[in-house]
Amino acid sequence: MASHGIARTNRSRTEEQRQQDLDRIQKYRDLDDQIQSHVKQSNYSDPALFQLTTKILRLNPEYYTVWNVRRRCLISGSLSRRSAGLWRSRASPSTSRSVTTKPSCAASSPSPSAATPAAPATSPSPKRDGGSGTTPNEKKEHTTDNAEGKEEEDEKADIAADTSIIQAELNFTIPLLIEFPKCYWIWGYRSFLLSLCDAILPAAAARDFWVAELALDSKMLTKDRRNFHAWSYRRFIVSALESTAKTDGSDGSGGDAPTTTTNPKSMTESEFAYTYSMIKVDLSNFSAWHNRSKLALRLLDERGADDAARKKFLEEELELVREGLNVGPEDQSLWYYHQFLMDHITAVGAHKNAEDNEKGTTKELIAPNLSLADRREFVDREVTEIKDLLEDYADVKLIYEALLEYAMAYRAMGESDGDAANQDEMMAWLAKLRELDPLRRGRWDDLEKSLKV
Amino acid sequence: MAQLQNLPDELQLATEAHVKYIQSLDSRKDEYEYWLTEHLRLNGVYWGLTALHLLKKPEALPRDATIDFVLSCQHENGGFGAAPGHDAHMLYTVSAVQILALVDAFDELEKRGKGKAAVGKFIADLQNRETGTFAGDEWGEEDTRFLYGAFNALSLMGMLDLVDVDKAVDHIKACANFDGGYGLTPGAESHSGQIFTCLAALSIVGRMESVEAGKLGKWLSERQLPNGGLNGRPEKQEDVCYSWWVLSSLAMINRTHWIDRNALFGFILRCQDTEKGGISDRPGNMVDVWHTLFGLTGLSLLGYPGLDEIDPVYCLPKSTTQRILGSKE
Repeated sequence: MASHGIARTNRSRTEEQRQQDLDRIQKYRDLDDQIQSHVKQSNYSDPALFQLTTKILRLNPEYYTVWNVRRRCLISGSLSRRSAGLWRSRASPSTSRSVTTKPSCAASSPSPSAATPAAPATSPSPKRDGGSGTTPNEKKEHTTDNAEGKEEEDEKADIAADTSIIQAELNFTIPLLIEFPKCYWIWGYRSFLLSLCDAILPAAAARDFWVAELALDSKMLTKDRRNFHAWSYRRFIVSALESTAKTDGSDGSGGDAPTTTTNPKSMTESEFAYTYSMIKVDLSNFSAWHNRSKLALRLLDERGADDAARKKFLEEELELVREGLNVGPEDQSLWYYHQFLMDHITAVGAHKNAEDNEKGTTKELIAPNLSLADRREFVDREVTEIKDLLEDYADVKLIYEALLEYAMAYRAMGESDGDAANQDEMMAWLAKLRELDPLRRGRWDDLEKSLKV
Repeated sequence: MAQLQNLPDELQLATEAHVKYIQSLDSRKDEYEYWLTEHLRLNGVYWGLTALHLLKKPEALPRDATIDFVLSCQHENGGFGAAPGHDAHMLYTVSAVQILALVDAFDELEKRGKGKAAVGKFIADLQNRETGTFAGDEWGEEDTRFLYGAFNALSLMGMLDLVDVDKAVDHIKACANFDGGYGLTPGAESHSGQIFTCLAALSIVGRMESVEAGKLGKWLSERQLPNGGLNGRPEKQEDVCYSWWVLSSLAMINRTHWIDRNALFGFILRCQDTEKGGISDRPGNMVDVWHTLFGLTGLSLLGYPGLDEIDPVYCLPKSTTQRILGSKE
């Protein structure tokens, strides 16, 4: 119903095409009817229903209800009973979700296992017990050695079976994801499978799935570098990997001095490097620049960066954007990241008044302890560099926009013994903006008013 | 507006063709696409009906049959699915409430449906009480689309007190980015669609104080491309649907004059199928009801003559929101 990029045809069909459509409709509705009748009888453990969902999802992966049916098939049939209690309230549709369950599979959730209601939020370690009420440990107290051995073997077999089912499910969605990379429901189904891993598989096995998922996500991002589903999903996987790493035993044995600021489980460095690799391939990839902006502060904190290191970081990042601007000053992505860095230098907002500073706003700056002289020097240097761009690109409006922006920010830093630009220069830039960018003349009118204040 | 009257025929709004196109949507049962899009049926009714209201032809779809269909999608728990037999989900529940608002039929919910209270409870139960955001359904996918949907539907029913508004507002703030925009979740890139959902949610509860309007206005105005159309993110292609997401956002921060009105009119009107009706994503492409609605809402927000006024917060005619919520002025 939402067509994107499909050429308009005359919308009339030959009789033969009409007949073909009718045949396809017949087959599709037949599948749908069969699924609905199973669902009415709550036949989720019938393998036939599972097969039907495979068929119809291949024809139509947007059919969200059928993805839900497939989930119910998994948890009430195919998977071992260790998954039985996990989604008890969801084993049939139309039940109201209790407010106490934790529904999150989103990136905002710090721990993927918190997404499964049966797993306690406080411990990200996967629970082997499927919510049956008895943990394996409790059972041990009441069984003989032989029975215990048998139970362990059963459990191993269960784990192997569950692992292969989850793997098969992930494989099933890959061709669909490649064909429909913007389908919310497919991404949602994969994140459901991964939460399932955390809930029913041993930690190491679950972690393997998450690691593989990050590789798949990278592959999706090579196919479409801007796919925001894939970028969101990436942040979700990374935060899951970071939180499961905390339970893999390595932090208990190390006995490191607690003063270290580096978190060995953090993936900030590797993700920051990943954004660089994406930017190198395509400077216009704002999604990568955006992610870089989100990682910068965390990176510096984790590095334990001192004031000098922070200042150097700003210099290096500015240098990186400038290299891009020298070849592509029409690229909005580069200017937005430049703006991001400059905001941290001119600190619009954070330095508005002393009260804000006391509230700790400055903590969120890349280099909070830059002196006013340092900050002025930064802005002066950037303004000079940007002016140089005009020699080769006199007709690129984004250059004039940046010049005006930074000249105004310089003024706003206060206690100025001079300006980055004088009023005449600024009015000339504004005139250039009007000439080059008449679409936004209403904005230039408003800007002119504020310049005259 | 004088210069618009002088535009060639293809740049005039093909009102009659659009009405006929929307009316024809439910008679296409011999087309495979009709069945493949069943999971959007209730949304489709909302899109088509709102479009007809903007075209000032609210009677073009039968009211009784519309209400019957809406109620046939409701589950015991109060939520609505896309069509009978489809699972309940926030997206369809919001469409159901919006349709009932459009045709002034909340009373039918009490008479023949599961009642307003059940709908409100279904929505409120989807709030994550720790983070304030909302899930789409029992399976737990969360993003700002659902948060906005919840605020939209609950406020229309006068039931916002069922949810933790402060927490939800904090969550929206956590979705803000350095460019003034908002993403799907905290950490996600700014996207016009999510900017709309976040601004509209904040507008509904009168909590716009944290919005960086100047910065955001700049970002939004830069979505207009030389051909007049708007894109949804930097360095992406234009698409008619952003006429709504970008423009409604500009309207909520009082800056629609930061883009060129006539250039956008021209772009939207070039995407019409003037003969068979409907509007597409870009000129020359297949039309659909979704782009038809968002083309019309774009035209309406910029005051195109002969269209009913759209409410930028609710994506419903202003006459509807004023009837339900009263005039805010």
